[in-house]
Parts: sequence; structure tokens; C-alpha cells
Amino acid sequence: MTRRLLASLLTTAAFAGALAATGAQAQETIKIGMTQPLTGAVAASGNFVANGAKIAVDVVNAKGGVLGKKLELVLEDNKSNPKEAVAAVEKLILRDKVPLLIGAWSSTYTLAIMPKLIEYKVPLIVETSSSGKITTAGNPWVFRISPTSEMEAKAFMAKYDSFQPAIKKIDFLSVNNDWGRGSADEFSKYLKTKGVQVGSIQYMAPDATDLSAQLTALKQSGGDTLFLTTGVEQMTLALKQASELKLPHRIITTGGSFPDQLIHHPGPKEMESYHLLFFSPWFPDKAKYPEIAKVYVDEWNKRKLDFPGLTEGFRGYDAVLTAVEAIKTAGKAEPEALREALWKTKLPAVNGDIAFIKEGPAGQESGQNEPNVYVVLLNQGKVTMPLP
Amino acid sequence: MDQFLQHLVNGVMLGSTYALLGIGLTLIFGIMRIVNFTHGEFYALGAYMTYMMVSLLGLNFFAAILLATVIGILIGALFEFVILRRLKTTDIDSVMIVMIGLWIAMQNTEQLIWGGVAKLIPSPFSQQPMVFGPVSISPLKIFVLAAAVLLLIVFHVLINHTRLGLAMRSTFQDRDVAALMGVNVGTIYTATFALGSGLAAVAGALLGPVFLVSPTMGDLASLKAFAIVILGGLGSTVGATIGGFAIALVEEFGAGYISADYRDAFSFLVIVAVLILKPQGLFTMKERVG
Amino acid sequence: MIQKIFGALVVLGFATLPFWMNDPYILGLLILAGIFIIAAISLNLLLGYTGQLSLGHVAFFGIGAYTSALLSSGFDVDLGFGTTLVVAPKPVWLSFLAGIVMAALFGWLVGRLAFRVRGAYFVILTVSFAQVMRLIALNWVDLTEGPMAINNIPAFTLWLPGLGVTTLTSKAQNYWLILAVAVISFVLVAHIVHSRVGRALIALRENEGLARSVGIPVTHYLVLSTIVAAAIAGASGGLYTHYVRIVDPDVFMFIYTVTMIIMVVTGGKGTLSGPVIGGLIFGLMPEVLRDYARPEVQWIIYGVAIVLIIMFVPNGIVPALEKIWLRISAFGARFLPERLRPRLS
Repeated sequence: MTRRLLASLLTTAAFAGALAATGAQAQETIKIGMTQPLTGAVAASGNFVANGAKIAVDVVNAKGGVLGKKLELVLEDNKSNPKEAVAAVEKLILRDKVPLLIGAWSSTYTLAIMPKLIEYKVPLIVETSSSGKITTAGNPWVFRISPTSEMEAKAFMAKYDSFQPAIKKIDFLSVNNDWGRGSADEFSKYLKTKGVQVGSIQYMAPDATDLSAQLTALKQSGGDTLFLTTGVEQMTLALKQASELKLPHRIITTGGSFPDQLIHHPGPKEMESYHLLFFSPWFPDKAKYPEIAKVYVDEWNKRKLDFPGLTEGFRGYDAVLTAVEAIKTAGKAEPEALREALWKTKLPAVNGDIAFIKEGPAGQESGQNEPNVYVVLLNQGKVTMPLP
Repeated sequence: MDQFLQHLVNGVMLGSTYALLGIGLTLIFGIMRIVNFTHGEFYALGAYMTYMMVSLLGLNFFAAILLATVIGILIGALFEFVILRRLKTTDIDSVMIVMIGLWIAMQNTEQLIWGGVAKLIPSPFSQQPMVFGPVSISPLKIFVLAAAVLLLIVFHVLINHTRLGLAMRSTFQDRDVAALMGVNVGTIYTATFALGSGLAAVAGALLGPVFLVSPTMGDLASLKAFAIVILGGLGSTVGATIGGFAIALVEEFGAGYISADYRDAFSFLVIVAVLILKPQGLFTMKERVG
Repeated sequence: MIQKIFGALVVLGFATLPFWMNDPYILGLLILAGIFIIAAISLNLLLGYTGQLSLGHVAFFGIGAYTSALLSSGFDVDLGFGTTLVVAPKPVWLSFLAGIVMAALFGWLVGRLAFRVRGAYFVILTVSFAQVMRLIALNWVDLTEGPMAINNIPAFTLWLPGLGVTTLTSKAQNYWLILAVAVISFVLVAHIVHSRVGRALIALRENEGLARSVGIPVTHYLVLSTIVAAAIAGASGGLYTHYVRIVDPDVFMFIYTVTMIIMVVTGGKGTLSGPVIGGLIFGLMPEVLRDYARPEVQWIIYGVAIVLIIMFVPNGIVPALEKIWLRISAFGARFLPERLRPRLS
């Protein structure tokens, strides 16, 4: 055992050496750290957001960077896993010494890294996560630009009257995680204020591909509208399978994802669906700041990235724009200064205006932005914006 | 009643492909005693190959499925020849770790090549579902059912009425005696792994157009394949066939009538029940292949 | 004797690490790796010494994690029939111990059920158990918060002499706690392995039928080792909970079991230091790779490394290194007078 231990420790020492040798080199750049799920179950979305961020960094650098220096995005994979999210963030903060973070896509990964923000005193811009807990946990280093399900539901209510025939009885098909469940809760709550009845709420496991059981049950419920909340893949599957089962509902998807494959491979005439988006790449002129949206869309297309990724990539783009604005306001790339600057940060972005209001327990509020919502209609591979 | 029939139809279609998946694994697990975690990856590989040939190379849909299966068989043979054969250990857990390493490598290679975004495979069938009373089913699914059943029949003939099948069955029963009887066990192992992986690949090629193709699609498939193998009894291809249909139906009805959230749990609960009550599986009579 | 001194030196080296390598990043990595090494040590007892391939080990990790999280945060759950169970938050150390006990309990349960079968069936049964636990954590939202996760879990509080009850805030403090638990687990497993029980376990690993025939109560020992392994895994789950401070059903992910198994088998199953070495290598490797390749390629390298290690050193790294060392010392011993030649031990 003695020999084993000794020889084995040499191996470990070699590793520790390799680890120490991977120290970051000092450069004259301003760094922004970002963690996203680049591999694993939710890699598709993570990569969209990361690409959006990379584009924003290039656009900013083309205009001369910020505070006279180039911007550098340090991107770490959190492998669709909360433990890895913690490891990724510690590497970004301790090794790369980033003064600001963007991340982490899923609410669970974001919640996992939040204690680190307090420990190391670094601000975080939350670009996608929707769980209410993120801004009510009493963490003053959190600034969220993405909407909660509540905000999405509230914004939707403005469009309620434009739906003809009117929405009278609704059903839900949600992915079984906090986002899906939260969305079903919030939309129910707000629609009930208009006297809408809630029928059946069905859930599906995030990796479920066969939704026939849920859809068959929904067919019997008697509702006229189905709210579908899940990621891109499952959304595509649900829409296809619903069409095959001849589901009578009008389908509205929430959460901002778009089933891109249904553009490349159009469905039949009877298959149509509405989608609540936070950015509608087919109609950049309908965005609040069309010039900004156009730059984003053009750069994305120049790099030949998947077109419908634009509906998620803008989150990374806007997050970087926000970070840059904060750095300008603060005048320096230091975490505490950036935190204070973020409260004062207001800017026009792809989604619309970004500004932070206080949310959460007094004295420890986090920042929350109020976003815009767009509704598009998809039918036979074509996207239109029929509602005002 | 309407729901019942719809669930039944869904379950039977799914079951036919599950059966193929299960038979492939029961061969590998039964004859070679390998806890094969790459089984799901061959399923995914079959789907990706079909996608690549149809969407990127423009090949005929049916030819693509056939070709995808052949590729699955070839790569399976390659793995066995280059890696498995050279392992100096036969410990079940060490070999399992190798399969896990290959699983990780395969899945990430798929993501590296095709990206994490799920892909749709277009089929030449109309998207209009065919309606028979309360039941609606798409033409694609009818094709999948027909193709899977055909393959099941072909396979059973192979296993029970050919020399290769005989050699495989005897290797399963007793490897050393089979060797004494002149069976080249090394060749049989290669053939088994290739055939088993090929079956997983064809299941993926058939189901790929029904669902979507993504790098993680194989994970659930692997676990379900294990459930089928346990239910049917290790090494029993008849058991795996019936097990495949059984698991699919349990999932469908369980999800439809009890709880859709727990859909994927039903297979596991079935395994737990079987292992507690009748550990050899429902269909083994003294563990046989065939 | 010399082994014990050497072991003590190694522990001392690790214990003083925060002083001579005061890099919080490395400490953070060692903490996360350490948590999984503890779980790997427990898995080694089942896998290496008893020869039972349990693929559901993460279930005990998760049970320990959830139990400790729930008790230290307080919870209320509707038990049906109009009754609600309300539990106020308990001190962290108590919740941690409860997590260990709960995991041990499930270890006993699984042991009694699972050891009716062997081999492939046992493997599948244990996987299923872990999956079912995950689905319960996911769907029993009333108790576990399901996918909404239990967050704001309190950090470790310990009674330290002179300081009273303090919260462990610094990296170094957490590191020492993990190290302490790791050493205790290691010593516990070593003790079992070197005792009569250990010899019985090894006997039944080598030839169960024969062991049974000489009167070794096989099932009894199997269940016993499962209980101990589950308890240690539950401890590592508790450590995870109070370090990361958020728990969600992902804590039952199959990839965690896979990680533990990789650590044990590549390090050398059936050796005491195997899981430690395998754990350090495969716990730290993903972090080292971050700088060298894009994410998918990092994983591919990881997977290929596993395959290569098993192909070339099938018994694991530790036994292979021991062989090399033996050769070197045998060679060198020729040059020493008889009296001074090292003995094999």
C-alpha cells in the first residue's frame, strides 16, 4: 500500500502541475464571463445563447471596444449540470478574474451559482432563467433581463382580445420543470381574471419524445386553446403529434422558443400554431429598435447559423450589450462598481428597453427587467404576425 | 373506449421497434455478457445516418434506412474487433466502463458533427393522418410497424433456422462446449455485436423520422432496452420481442390512465416487480436464446 | 506500521495544502472532487471488495442530500386525510447525520431486495431503483419542490473549540471538513476490509458458492456492506448539499453514478487507494481539459481516456503502478546487501 500511495501521488502531482500551468495570461482586454450548457441535454439552446453573445462581442469590438479596450468573452460549458455550473463559475471568477458574469441558462444552474456571487462579490446578468426564486432569494448581485413567467403572462393579457374566436377554456401541456410548471400557474392565474376556465394540465418529462398519452387525454378535455410550454425539440414533437391526433385546440406556445424544423419541413394545411416570442427574427422592423435588431440578425445570418436560433440567441446578445453599457457607466471593469452601475443602466436592445427595477426582500433586492412580447403564427412553413 | 384504442395502436407501433431494440441487446448481453451502454448510441447513430443521407445527400428514404442499418452493423463489427476483442479483462464491470467511455465519445462526436439542435427527417409519406374511427395514425407509423414486424420475422428465421443462428445459440448455452464443437467463438462474438448493434441502428432509423434526431436520444433508449431484456429474460429473443410490446403498452396505458409524468418510470417499476417476483424474466425456460 | 506512517504523512500533506497552495480555485476543485471521492470509496466497498456491480449508487447520494436539505431548511408536506406534517429547520449537523441514517436505511432496503438476484439482474435492479428515486424527487413536488429545487440551504455549522458554533464560510474550512470525512471513510473501509468481515467479503467475491459452503452468511454480509456503503454515500450527499446549497432532482443523475464507477475502476477496484487516485484524476481531468479543447472534444477525450486505461491497465492504475514499483525495487535490491533489501508487504 505504501508503494501504491507513493507512486499514485506522483500521478496526481503531475495533474496538479498541469492544472497550475493552465493559468490565464494577462492581456489588455476587458473580460466578461459566461457559462452556458454547451453539451448535454440542453446544449442546443445553450449554444444559441452563446452564439448571440459572441456576435455582440464582435459587433462591440468592431466599433472600438469599450473604454478603449477590446472586449473578451470567456465562455465555459456547464454541461447541463448544476455541479459543473459551480465549477465553471469558480474557474471564471478565480482563474480568469472576470468582473461580471452572464448565465447560466436553466434556473437550477443559475440558483446553484448564486451563492458564489455573494462569496466572491461578482455581479451576474441572468439571460434566460425564469424561476421567481432567482430574484426573490435576496441576492443583491443578481440582475435579470429575461422575463419571469408572470411577466410573460401579464404581457400576453394585452393580446388576449385579439384572439378570434375568443379563448374560453384552456388546457396546458408543460415540461415538468419549474419553468413549465411556473408558466402553467401564471397563465392560469391571469386568464382566470378574464373568466377563462382551466381544463386539463398535463406534464411531460423533459426528455420524453412520445407525448401521445398526454395529447390523447387533452383531446377529451373540451378546451379550445392549448398552452404549450417546453423547449424547441419537445415543442416540435408536440406540434407534430398533436396534428397527427387531430387535436381540436388552437395551440399557443410560451417561453420564447420556436420549432425551427417546422419551417424546413412544413406541416400540413391544418397544422398551425401561435408562438409567444421575445424576439421575432422574421419581422425585425416590428421590434422596438429595428436598427439594433437588424444588426443582430444580419451578423447571425452572415455566420450561417441556424436561422430560428435567433429567437434564443438574442438573450446572449442583449446580455452583452447590457454588460457593456454598465461598464461604460461605471467607467471601470470592477465588480462592485459594475453592480452599482447596473442599477443605473438603461439601454435599447434587441428585445426592447432594458432597465432594472428592484425585486425581492428589502435591502437585498435583485434587479429585474420588464420585456416585450411578440406573437407570430406558423402555418405550412410560413411565419406571419397577424395580431397587432 | 376511444382513448383505449388509440393508446393500443400507439403502443403496438412503438412496441414493434422496442422489440428490435430489445432483441439486439439481449443478444449482446446474453451471449457476450456485456452491459452494453453503447446500445442507445447505435440507435442514435442509425437515426443520424438516415438523417444525413436523406437530408444532406438526398438519397431515397428507404435506401437510407437500409444503408443506415448496414453502417450500424459495420461499426458494431469494428468496435468488437478493434476494442472489445483486445481487452485483457473479462470483468463485467471493466467491460462496462469501456462501453461507457465509448458511449460518451460517440454521443459527443454526434454533437460535434451535427450540433445539438434536433433534426427532423422528412419522409415521403403524407402528413395527413389516416383515421379509422376514433383512432388516427400517420402513414409513416404504419410503415414503421410493417417494417419492424418484417424485420422481426426475418430475425427469428435467422436465429432459429440458419447455421449462424445455431452457432449463436450454442455459444449462448455454453461457450466452451460450442468451441469444442467447432464454433469459432471469436467470429460469433463479432457477429453478435454487429447484429445486435445493427438492430439498434434500424430501430433508430425507423423511429428517427417519427420523432426527432438529437445527440441525447439514445440515453432513454438504452435504459428501456435493458428493461425489455430483463422483462423478457436474458438471452430470450422471444422474450425480448414480447417484452418490447409489453413495455410499450405498459408505458402507453400507464401514461394515459395513471400518470403521464411517470411515463418512463413504468418500465422501471416493471423491472423492479419482475426482479422481485420472477427474477429470470417472464419467458425464460432455463435461459435459452431462441 | 510503515504504511500507517506513510498514510498519516499523506493526510498531513493534504491537510496543510491550504497553506502552501492558497489558491481558492484549486481548493474548490478539490472540494467537489473530494465529495465524489468519498462516494467512490463507498462504491469501492460494494464493487471492489464484494464484487457487486451496483449502478444505482447515486440514489444513496441523493437521498443523503435531500434528507439533509429538507431537515435543515424545514418543510411541510400534506400527508393526505387532511393532515400536514410540519418540520421546523434543524441544525445542520443533525440534518447531516439524519441524511446518513436515511441513506443507510435505504441501503438496508435495497440490500434485502436486490440481493435475491445476481449479475446482470442486480445491475438493472439497482439502476431502476435510482431512476425511481429521481422520478419521485421530480414529481412529489409538495415535499421536494420537484424541479423548482430546494435552495438557500444553510452552509455547514460546526462546533469548534474556542469558537462555539460557527458557519464554515471559507474555502479552506470546507476543504478541511471534506478531507476529514474522506479520511474517516477511508479508515472505516480499510478497517472493514482488513477484518474478518473483509475477508468474508473477498471470499464471496471470489467464489460465492464456495464461501456459502464454508458457512459464510453471504446475504447477511452483502446487506451489511450495502448499509455501510450507502451511509458513506449519504454522507457525501450531505456534504454536497451544504456546499453547493441547492438540491434538485438532477442530484440523482445517472452520470454521477457513472463518474463514481469510473473513479473506482480506473483507479483500481479492490484497492483502498484506487478510488482516491481515480477520483483525483477523473475529478480534475474535466477541469484541466477546459483550456485545451472545445466542450464536445473535452468529453470525447474523457471517454477515450477511459477506454484506453481499461485496455492497457485493466486492473486499474494503482495495481499497475505497484507492479512497476516492484520491478524497480527488485532491480535495485540487487545492489544492496542482503540485510537491507526491502521486503514485500
